[in-house]
Amino acid sequence: MRTQNATAYRFLTPYLLVFAVFWIWPIVSSFLISFQATRTVPWRFAPTFNWGRLIGDPAFYNALKNTLLILVIQVPVMISLAIVMAVLLNSPLLKARGLYRFAFFAPVVVGEVAYSAVFRLMFSLDFGIVNKLLESVGLAKIDWFSNVTPAMALIMIAVTWRWAGYNAILILAGLQSIPEDVYEAATLDRVSKLKQFLYITLPLLKPVIVFCAVLSIIGTMQLFTEPFLITERGGPGGGTETLGLLLYRQGFRSLNFGYASAVAYTMAGLAIAITLVQLWLTREPK
Amino acid sequence: MAAVTLTNVVKRFGVFEVVHGANIDIADGEFVVFVGPSGCGKSTLLRMIAGLEDISGGDIAIGGKVMNDVEPADRGIAMVFQSYALYPHMTVEQNLSFGLRMNGNPKPDTERRVKRAAEILRIDELMQRRPKQLSGGQRQRVAIGRAIVREPQVFLFDEPLSNLDAELRVQMRVEISRLHKELGVTMIYVTHDQTEAMTLADRIVVLKGGNVEQIGRPLDLYNDPTNRFVAGFIGSPKMNFIKARIVGRDARGVVVELAGEEKTRIVQPLAGAAPEPGSKVVVGVRPEHFGNAGEGDADIAVAIDVVEHLGGTSFLYAKTANGEDVVIQRDAAKVPDTSEIIVSIRKSYLFDEKGLRLR
Repeated sequence: MRTQNATAYRFLTPYLLVFAVFWIWPIVSSFLISFQATRTVPWRFAPTFNWGRLIGDPAFYNALKNTLLILVIQVPVMISLAIVMAVLLNSPLLKARGLYRFAFFAPVVVGEVAYSAVFRLMFSLDFGIVNKLLESVGLAKIDWFSNVTPAMALIMIAVTWRWAGYNAILILAGLQSIPEDVYEAATLDRVSKLKQFLYITLPLLKPVIVFCAVLSIIGTMQLFTEPFLITERGGPGGGTETLGLLLYRQGFRSLNFGYASAVAYTMAGLAIAITLVQLWLTREPK
Repeated sequence: MAAVTLTNVVKRFGVFEVVHGANIDIADGEFVVFVGPSGCGKSTLLRMIAGLEDISGGDIAIGGKVMNDVEPADRGIAMVFQSYALYPHMTVEQNLSFGLRMNGNPKPDTERRVKRAAEILRIDELMQRRPKQLSGGQRQRVAIGRAIVREPQVFLFDEPLSNLDAELRVQMRVEISRLHKELGVTMIYVTHDQTEAMTLADRIVVLKGGNVEQIGRPLDLYNDPTNRFVAGFIGSPKMNFIKARIVGRDARGVVVELAGEEKTRIVQPLAGAAPEPGSKVVVGVRPEHFGNAGEGDADIAVAIDVVEHLGGTSFLYAKTANGEDVVIQRDAAKVPDTSEIIVSIRKSYLFDEKGLRLR
């Protein structure tokens, strides 16, 4: 048995080496770097340098506020929308179901740069279709890129558009795993469709919804593409700068790897903490 | 309590007709079992009675009222599903009371009904458990309990025991029988297991390919089947069928010669017209209707393949001279040592080429 294990590990060695060098080491290394002052040459060990700055940095708090705001508003809206989409996709009345499923899932496979460019065009002040539509129904056009609130709304709309279908497909799989005869039993019990949804479907979907929420929380904590490409590096004036963007700015624009590492570990810590709270709140009763 | 009447009931799925005009009368308080092989339409019929499937033609009446367009919840029925269909996230108590609570039934009445169902089914101690914490038999009890709290006029059971092991099936069969006696309501029960049908039913409806083959009391179907399918389906081990041909007619009935047994003649009493001499027929013999040589109408030689000992009784799996498989029932003490024996046919049934009984 021991020989067999040794053989197995020998086969695994190439993978484990790559995994250790490109996965484990960066994780350990960035943790160590977060305790070093990296704006000086050579780098020196200064435990409070980056972490102390983090606690008092208004740019960090601005990025944290923006990230949490997107998390609190966008994730629940997106999950709710995904549930509605999944229920509609699951309806026996729906024709061409495969086509809709593809359409809802397609945003995930569209290139990030391409979709960001399209969103910038759609929401452009003078030529965008969104403002044209607003004007056509008598509403004032919105400068989506120059004001903080519309810019944040734009980020949330874009992220929702991109990921709602993906979550809907996951929830659809959950819906399809609920046996049909449970609903038939409820129908015989004179339980209305709405009550069936509230008291049977939603509770039975809870594990899938929690899974989607956890994925979305982790994704939002790392949000980078949309504020970088759509609102041009967290504009206007840092109004849509997220933690991911702050990390990028510090690490790759200012080459301040120590501070960027501290931000990265803060993001990971927050994602874990929020996820644990979420799992605790939605735990199964014993 | 209510009678259930099916008149020319037809079910089509698109162009496929799966039930071809079923006519069944079920009396108030009767226990009727729909039995047949997979795909015979028995579950579809039950689901049409429940209102879970639309009726393509004909009428279904419960308590004298035509229910074709009545919502399932308003038909006065309760159904127990094969997979139990319990709400997995609710406790047993919540499962039992869910329908009543959702409909605003007064709390004291809901509690009374749940308590009564729990007492009848002896599940009082399981009330705070969830379905996944229950055994198969306990889940089935809860599913039945959920039907009881509705206080229905008619109980519908859709293969309720097929997910249970053999021992538990026997136990639950007795429980369902007891429940029928205790509640006295009409029960319609679907199964593919003829033993369940024989042991539970007041009357059995045998179905095949969407047609009602025969309706009758269990022993009537056993002793007097109308066709070869019913004869083969009711009884375990099933009836043996031996190829034969008509060779003539005498005062006592029609004379039949078994294939491969040119000297063996069986005389079958026949009131109706006899087929022409030379016509091919099938002789049906139940395993227990084989006797010792010389005891019956005709003796045949069989070669024994396998002997199954069940304790008091044994089954001999054998082949006739013509190579046809037969099963012979014997007292365990009377199983021969030799591999070839002569047995006699003490009682037999005659079927024409289409499988209809000749009598």
